[in-house]
Amino acid sequence: MLLGETGVYLLMAVVSLISTLAVYMAVRERDLVKAVIYSALQSGLYTTLYFLLLAPDIGLVYIPVAVGLIPGVLLILISKTERWERE
Amino acid sequence: MTSLEIINTYLLSVVLASLLANFVISLYAVFFKPHYIKKVIALTIFGDTANTFAIFIGYRRWVGQNPSRIPVLTYLNPEAVEEFARLAVDPLPQALVLTAIVIGLAVILFLVFLGWILYSHYKTLDMREIRRLRG
Amino acid sequence: MRVVEVVVLVVLVLTLGLLITVGFEYIMPSSVVRPLAEFYLYATYNPYKLNEYTAMSPEAVTAIVWDFRGLDTLFETSVFYLALIAGLALTRRLLSEHAEKPGYGLSLIVKTVTRITAPMIIVVGASIALHGHLTPGGGFQGGSVIAVLPMVIIVVFSASFLIMKGLTTSKMIVVRSLGLFGIGLTAITLLLVSLVQGTHAYVFQNMIKPDAQVSMPVDIAGALISGTLWFFNLFEMFAVAAGFSIAFIVLMLARTLQTEER
Repeated sequence: MLLGETGVYLLMAVVSLISTLAVYMAVRERDLVKAVIYSALQSGLYTTLYFLLLAPDIGLVYIPVAVGLIPGVLLILISKTERWERE
Repeated sequence: MTSLEIINTYLLSVVLASLLANFVISLYAVFFKPHYIKKVIALTIFGDTANTFAIFIGYRRWVGQNPSRIPVLTYLNPEAVEEFARLAVDPLPQALVLTAIVIGLAVILFLVFLGWILYSHYKTLDMREIRRLRG
Repeated sequence: MRVVEVVVLVVLVLTLGLLITVGFEYIMPSSVVRPLAEFYLYATYNPYKLNEYTAMSPEAVTAIVWDFRGLDTLFETSVFYLALIAGLALTRRLLSEHAEKPGYGLSLIVKTVTRITAPMIIVVGASIALHGHLTPGGGFQGGSVIAVLPMVIIVVFSASFLIMKGLTTSKMIVVRSLGLFGIGLTAITLLLVSLVQGTHAYVFQNMIKPDAQVSMPVDIAGALISGTLWFFNLFEMFAVAAGFSIAFIVLMLARTLQTEER
């Protein structure tokens, strides 16, 4: 059974590899709404990493701030300005 | 080192390497992507990766077969305090990262206000256009 | 990609590789923590052996944030306040705060569900904030959870609905100022008590110290409140929730500048 120390570290490694993929997708995306959604997905994965690294205080701050408030504010700004990034 | 220790150190090095890859990709995007909002998104990712790095340094590996614990005391007697100090992770980076998240949030809020003012002056948010139109 | 971009990427990767090689044994976590962290873990709730250095709160992170390193939190609160004032000062001329007739928004199903979950959000946020000295949580965590509510109402109903219900920018500024005033008053409470009594005390003091023998009450009728920590969490919750509401309302209601320059 992979419970125990190695299981926790394996889960941490998988979560951080998926977060690198999400950061790469957020940077190369031209549609800014999709880039904000990818950034929110990366923040959700970072929250899982904080709980695995035994820091629940930081996880409780990070969920409303980086998944709710920051994408909300950025989406309000996008709706008032432009949506597509030109080449 | 036994093989189990090698596997554990390898998995923690994978976490470290992916955090550093996030650093490099977001810093590249802050420099070289021409749209203002893309720069703000990449700056958010950069700040959060720095905070995760600080918490990763403050972790404690398992002592023998006992798992590490969060820095919250659950039983209030002297023996529990002794065991708590032997097994819990470092609470100081968590307190400093709490402050750092709030300050990063304040900077991002101010940058969003600034972006709105920039758009109402120049009617575009492409930094190359703004550099051409300046003045 | 141009040559400059490739060169910058390669330089960044090589620098980080060098940093890992030089500092590997300091970065990788091990089974022992630093002596400073061991002192904080010993002293966070220890009326048995360390009676003159303890913070009497079972939660180590809240004790560090508001008692052992309280001055850091004071300056962090003022930095947040400055950023909010700067944003408000930039868009002061552009604010149009009259209440239009709210006739739009999302559909009826979403509005009904929002009406049901709005009190739940407030209760969960207040519970996280007020139990901050016993479980993971605290003032800033609870305040952020409550601050999600104005954003949801702005998206589902409309910003004019929020103003029509009485949640204007001026009232939120008053609430935020009262929260910050409460934090400042709690920080100098023991100093004022010691000036009246004629003994010696510090600013931001919570429990007794070796040369200052005044202390806040540890519990009220058997329930642990850890002195100033409960009051700090309460006032910080109000201040943070009001501050975020101001930012959302101002950003949503700013209209464009008329063509009056250049």
